[in-house]
Parts: sequence; C-alpha cells; structure tokens
Amino acid sequence: MSTTARLLDRRPKEGEPLRILAASGQLGYGIPETALRAGLARRPHAIGCDMGSIDIGPAYLGSGQLSTSEATTLRDLRLVLRGAREVDVPLLIGSAGSAGAEPHLSRTLEYVDRIAREDGKTLRVAVVHANIDRAWLRGMVAAKRTRPIGPGLPELDDETITQATHIVGQMGTEAFLRALALSPDVVIAGRACDTAIFAAIPALLGYPMGPAMHMAKIIECTSICCIPGGRDAMLGTLEGESFTLESMNPVRAATPLSVAAHSLYEQADPHVVHEPEGTLDVRTACFEAIDERRTRVSGATWTEAAQKTIKLEGATRIGERAVLLAGSCDPRVIANREAILAGVREQVMEILPGDDYHLIFRVYGTGATSLFSVKPPALVDEVFFLGECIANDADRAKAVVATAKQYLLHHGFAGRLSTGGNIAFPFTPPEISAGTAYRYSIYHLTECDDLAAAFPTELVMLGA
Amino acid sequence: MTRLVDAARVIRSKNAGPLHLTLDLMFSDLASFELALQSPSLTPASVARLYGVAQDTVEVIPFAAAQAIKIVLLRPIVAGGFGDADVYGAQQHRPLLDVVL
Repeated sequence: MSTTARLLDRRPKEGEPLRILAASGQLGYGIPETALRAGLARRPHAIGCDMGSIDIGPAYLGSGQLSTSEATTLRDLRLVLRGAREVDVPLLIGSAGSAGAEPHLSRTLEYVDRIAREDGKTLRVAVVHANIDRAWLRGMVAAKRTRPIGPGLPELDDETITQATHIVGQMGTEAFLRALALSPDVVIAGRACDTAIFAAIPALLGYPMGPAMHMAKIIECTSICCIPGGRDAMLGTLEGESFTLESMNPVRAATPLSVAAHSLYEQADPHVVHEPEGTLDVRTACFEAIDERRTRVSGATWTEAAQKTIKLEGATRIGERAVLLAGSCDPRVIANREAILAGVREQVMEILPGDDYHLIFRVYGTGATSLFSVKPPALVDEVFFLGECIANDADRAKAVVATAKQYLLHHGFAGRLSTGGNIAFPFTPPEISAGTAYRYSIYHLTECDDLAAAFPTELVMLGA
Repeated sequence: MTRLVDAARVIRSKNAGPLHLTLDLMFSDLASFELALQSPSLTPASVARLYGVAQDTVEVIPFAAAQAIKIVLLRPIVAGGFGDADVYGAQQHRPLLDVVL
C-alpha cells in the first residue's frame, strides 16, 4: 500500500486541518536539516519540494544539465525521501532537475533510484513529463492559439520550435492529481507551477481551492515569506476557508505584513496568479496575526478558467562562449578605457576577420551591472574587464578572447606610462572556455484543450 | 524632504519571468507608504525618466495589504541572453536609492 493510499485512508475528517510541509523552494542547494526535522515532528500529511525555476537562466534548460551539484542534490533528496518515509506520507517534487525537461527528469529519477537502493526500499514513483510535443505545438501556432508573454520575444514560429533544444510547459495541479491517482509514494514532476506541488494534496482531499492555492503560492519558497527571510522548511496548515503559516525555524516570523508582501515576489502582478486551470485573486485576502510568529490567511478566491493555458519555456543554442578576466588600477587605463577597447576590437578584427563571432566587454566599476541607461557611478580607482566572445565553435571563441587579451595588455594610448601591461590577471590562463551558450527563445502562452495529453503520467517502481 | 532609502524597509529588484523586471518598495508604516504613493518621484513618468525607458512600458502598482509599491519594467534584454548583465535582475534597484519622495 502506498503513502498516497494510506493518506486517503486516514485523511483529515470534515473540519480537521491539513498540514503541508514545504521542505525546499530549490532542492539541491542544501536543505537546512534542523528546520526540516522540526517540520517532520509536526506530522505533516504531505511534503512538497520545488526543485527548479526559470530564473536561473537558459543554460540548464538548453543543455539538459542540472544547476545543482550531484553531491548536494543527492544529500537533499536523501533528506526528503527518508523524511517522508519516516512520517509515512507522500512526497511531491516539481520542476525536477532545475529546468524540468526530459534529461533533468531522468537524472532526478536516477538519483531517487540510487537512494532507494542504498536504503533497500522499493518506491512507487509517479512521473509526470513536461516536454511539449513539437508537432502539437506547431499545430497550435498554425491555429494562432499561442502568444508571447511579453514584447521581448516575437510570435512563435516553426523555426523557433525546431531550433529549441528543449521545450517544456509548466504543468498545474491537474497533472499532479493524475499522478496521485496512480497511488504513488513519491511524485516526481518535470517543469511545474510552484503552486501545483503544494496545492495538489489539498485538491485531492477536497479542500477549497482559493485558500489552498494561496497557501501553496506562499509556502513554495519556504521561509522567504518571513522576517528575517530564509530557506528553512515552512508548515502550511489548511483549516478549510483559512490557513496558518509557521516557519520551522523559530527565529523566523511569518507576520501579516511579511506574508502579504510575499505576493510581490518575482510576480509582475501582485493581485492575481495565473495557473493553467484558473486564476487566484488575492485582493480580497485577509492576514491576521495569531502570535508573533504565525499568521492566519483567508479570503483569496479561485476562478476556473474556461480555456486552459500552458506557459511554455524553450532555450536555443547561440554558440560557444569564452571569457577573459582581468583588472586594472591604472587611472590612465581607466580614463581611456573606451578608446582602448575600441582599438583592441579593431586589432582583433584585423587578425581574426569574420562575422562569425561576437565580442563584448563589460567594464565593472563603470556601470556594467545596469541593464538600463542610468546615471553612471562616480569614477573608481579600480575596474574589472570581463571580455566575452560567442562564436560557432569553442576554438574560435577562445582565439578571439586570447587575441583580445594580448592586445588589451599591450595596447598603446596617448599618455601611457605603464608599458609593462595595462591589466592584471588574477590567474592564468585568464581566458576560459565557458561552454555552450543558450538563450530563451520561447516564453509563450499556449491554449490547451487536453492538459492530460500535454503532461503524460506513468508509474515506475524504483529501488530494490 | 524624505529620501526613499529612509522611508522604505525594502528596495529590491528581481525578474518576473525572463521578459520583465519588478522593483518592490516596502514600507514599515502606513505614513511612509502613503507618502510614497502620492510622491511625484514615483509616477510612471518619473520612473521612466529615472531608468531611461518609455513611459508606456512602466507600471506602478500599489499593494496596500503589504504597504508596498510594485514597479514593473520590460527587460531591455531577455534574461540570460547575449549581452545581459544581470540574469536574475537582482541589481537593478540602484537608481531608486537616490530618489527623494
């Protein structure tokens, strides 16, 4: 009998609260163990972990690699797998392996299998796939049922769909419910809405979706909704029309203000949250302090969408990256930096002619961090040169930054005193091949009439 | 003359997806929140000037439940694309630190 079957057997009775433990907002970076233990001691009915995000950039979705190290990912998975077994409840993990595409999902399953074998256990694992079928997506594009989420990307077309190395969709609660219907011990899902991981068990047990989804939205980042914010496990107790939040680290307080403020986090609209199956509106929510560390929330509303939608994410290779790292504290180099870099670029073009690469320099200390044309900072005494080249192959990229390095070191300019070299290298080689570079080519919304077909589930037995 | 850095408890920036940037201003008391709300320095036009962007790309959204104001901008470069300087968008709040309400 699986943990899901046992949860259904001893489900909270009418009017009894449901406890969901959010163990991690980004599994694989080191779950704080003391707070997790404190959470397990509260006998949660289910444990959820978010494992990924789009914020980490396109490299992971593009390459199929995890953003977290193998050792720490295994450590965290051991903690939550063993923790869930200790308290005998379902464990739900979403956005497996950082980006939630097929390679990330397989790697995560491989890790879970390895841990189950170490422990001599067999696990029923419900797997939900998030890779989007390209033929289906082409059909949706042809039917004009897709659109970009912002003006930064053009409308989807065949070429973009073909070129993306991986395309995933963010699955919602519906997909987790189908996974739970397979009666698993553990659910491992590809790319998923953070909320779905934590709203699925309340939905399975028939709790009202407004408060359930609002609770999920807040606890998906664990204790970030507290003062001071942190990464410790967070307990959400769903009473029905209200829920209570408590950090499992006693130094962190969930106050009405800190919890309300979490609606702002990484959201363009603080008032509504769009999910594949509907919309959460938090404008009517009330936040009241129970004591100094706990807040009760009620009043958010959930509206089912007539037309289901999926948020799509895709990444495309743009080339091979090489970088150059160097500093300078020479006031004349700093003052002449723009002319020097223009000269270096000219020399590089002369030695390595071609339009098959891009070379840029960021000069830290002079406003290189800003994305906008804002007032530059006051001139500093020391700057850092970060050269970056993207070329079709790694050798070419390396050749470009190596040439740039040599000419930047020795570039002559009017008034130069430092003929030994314009820049300081922190180590050699200061030019480094940084692997394949990707960009997000897809961040679009598609309508979907069959979510079950978009996010197929399967049951696998892992471990001994 | 109140400076935003003195009135606000939090002044932060972060991506909201790879195409948008969100700037959150949180205040620890209602008076500061209301002062900021009516300040001419935090209108879409003023924020647009501060960031050197078109006014119609700026949204300023008050969020009373948290005594907070959210500002949403378009990212000039899709997060993580070639030439990006801040993949997470976490360091774009700097111009706000000089604002006088």
